Amino acid sequence: MDLTLLAQGLVSGVLAAGLYALVSVGLALAIGVIGVINFAHGEFFMIGAFLAYQLYVSFGFDPLLSLIFVAPALFVIGAVIYQTTIRYVLKAPELNQMLLTFGLSIVLQNLALVIWGGDPRSISDVPYRSVGYQIGGVSIGLVPLGSFLISLVLVLALYAVLARSKVGRAMRAVAQNRIGASLVGLEVNRIYLVAFALSALLAGIGGVMIAVIQSPTPTVGFAFTLKAFAIVVLAGLGNIRGILWASLAVAVSESLVATLVPNGDALRNAVFFAIIFIVLVVRARRTA
Amino acid sequence: MRRALPDLLWTLLLAAAVALAPTVLKALFAQASVSYLSLASNAISLAILALSWDLLARTGQLSLAHAAFYGAGAYTAAILAKASGLPLAMGLPLAALTAALLALGLGSVTLRLRGIYFAIATLAFTEVLKAVVQELPTGLAGGAAGLNVPPLFRPHFVPGVMQRWEIAFQRNEAYFYVYGGLLVLAIAASIVTQRTRLRAAFTAVRTNEEVAAVMGVRPARAKLLAFVLSSALVGMLGALEAMRLGSVIPDGTFAISTTVFALVTPIFGGLYTTLGPILGAGVLSAVEETLKRTFAEGYLIGYGIVLVASILFMPRGIVGLFARLTRRRAAPPTSDVEEGG
Repeated sequence: MDLTLLAQGLVSGVLAAGLYALVSVGLALAIGVIGVINFAHGEFFMIGAFLAYQLYVSFGFDPLLSLIFVAPALFVIGAVIYQTTIRYVLKAPELNQMLLTFGLSIVLQNLALVIWGGDPRSISDVPYRSVGYQIGGVSIGLVPLGSFLISLVLVLALYAVLARSKVGRAMRAVAQNRIGASLVGLEVNRIYLVAFALSALLAGIGGVMIAVIQSPTPTVGFAFTLKAFAIVVLAGLGNIRGILWASLAVAVSESLVATLVPNGDALRNAVFFAIIFIVLVVRARRTA
Repeated sequence: MRRALPDLLWTLLLAAAVALAPTVLKALFAQASVSYLSLASNAISLAILALSWDLLARTGQLSLAHAAFYGAGAYTAAILAKASGLPLAMGLPLAALTAALLALGLGSVTLRLRGIYFAIATLAFTEVLKAVVQELPTGLAGGAAGLNVPPLFRPHFVPGVMQRWEIAFQRNEAYFYVYGGLLVLAIAASIVTQRTRLRAAFTAVRTNEEVAAVMGVRPARAKLLAFVLSSALVGMLGALEAMRLGSVIPDGTFAISTTVFALVTPIFGGLYTTLGPILGAGVLSAVEETLKRTFAEGYLIGYGIVLVASILFMPRGIVGLFARLTRRRAAPPTSDVEEGG
């Protein structure tokens, strides 16, 4: 086996894991804290990508600069969607939540299709897009590296917020026991609102990065929704810390197969989901 | 069994409606009836998809694998038509068999998974099966480009007797009857599970598997039975659609949208009932078609809004709305167990 190729696969996988973790951690927040099965999560990601694209085309904003506008925009969009729809299905069965969020996903996706059309859009000519480094035959692009670092910082920041800050403690309290939390004086609905808006914000930042890394279409969100769900479930519901490891595991395996197996690029998705399937089935057998 | 007679009556009435529909449509709309029949087949297809999904959901298994069985059925028919000398119609029972066997396999390994874990495992199964089909030898399954499927019906033009458009009419009419037949089969399956002891078994397993086991229900058997039945139906539907549409292709035949519509429609119509998924399919098809004709571009925005509004204003679907209106003074239903079919 070619060792350079192996190293390349490993490095690319680790770098890709950052974005997976960023998108999944937001979804884990929605599922773990609020208890809502949000199939529209990836649409926040898609909106982030297209807002960054629009800011770039209209005003020439660098994607890094547009983060300053896109992040609060997604926070507000998340809050509005929570207030108008999500909060009415908090106690509804999972299936009602699924129908609602599928509906939201269809609305947002098709709004984007009407506004931006179905062609792939990309922020292609930023100067640093083609910058890369060579270390012992392994090439590392500046953009994937940057997106990995930003994602990692954000995910770790979220962990810190959840662990130490007052808001974070409130979120964990609400997640553990909704009634108990309200009994000790926490405003449960406001905490849900903040958690949902935050989850939209995190996905939106991920979207800004995908607009530089790939050339997304308005349907990019749903694919990420499914992957994020798989990662959240792999980590275990409510286990927000596990997201980082779960993302790393699937991203590295995906990347290794794509680089080492001939014609492996077509198998990326299959490998991703095969791992999820096997882990779920095996874990259920062990714990039973 | 006290309601066996009304069930039979309704089913016969539906069968009669299906039998008469093409003739009536032709008399009323002449050439336009060709596209009406095709729309009707689309709606029936959605109804079968929804009803078979609901059948499975009655045991608490929230499957995201409907596209997998639909695709497996479609590919079975396509490969059979290409590689064997068997008559094309044999594709239907064989598609059901393939889907049923796959469901038995998948169902056995996912027995212990609940709720969203089950959902994601079945979603993952779909993606893996799609990749497997795509990686099969190109000579057999056509790879990423897919396969052409010969049509089930090839009406001949008789000069002098028929008009040109009547070829299309005869073809669509024939498909419509087969779709109608499959719908009646799905309804029969649904009614059997609703009117026998299976209903209690399914409901018990859905509500609480441990308690169900204590009561003497075998959860594994109930869940697998529902899975096999549901998948056989949707496998046949996949085969039929492949013949009507003329081709199969991994990305389209295994599309996640099939799964999404399979679950959205019964929730919209009313879960755990026979009537709900059928009503849901009828209403959603009509809504979609109307929106499509009114706003050519972006009509799906309206479709999504209808879904969102439906869950906010009628959380128990159309059937639940009816139930609420008809027994306004009765106590509100406290659990889904009470909803009848």
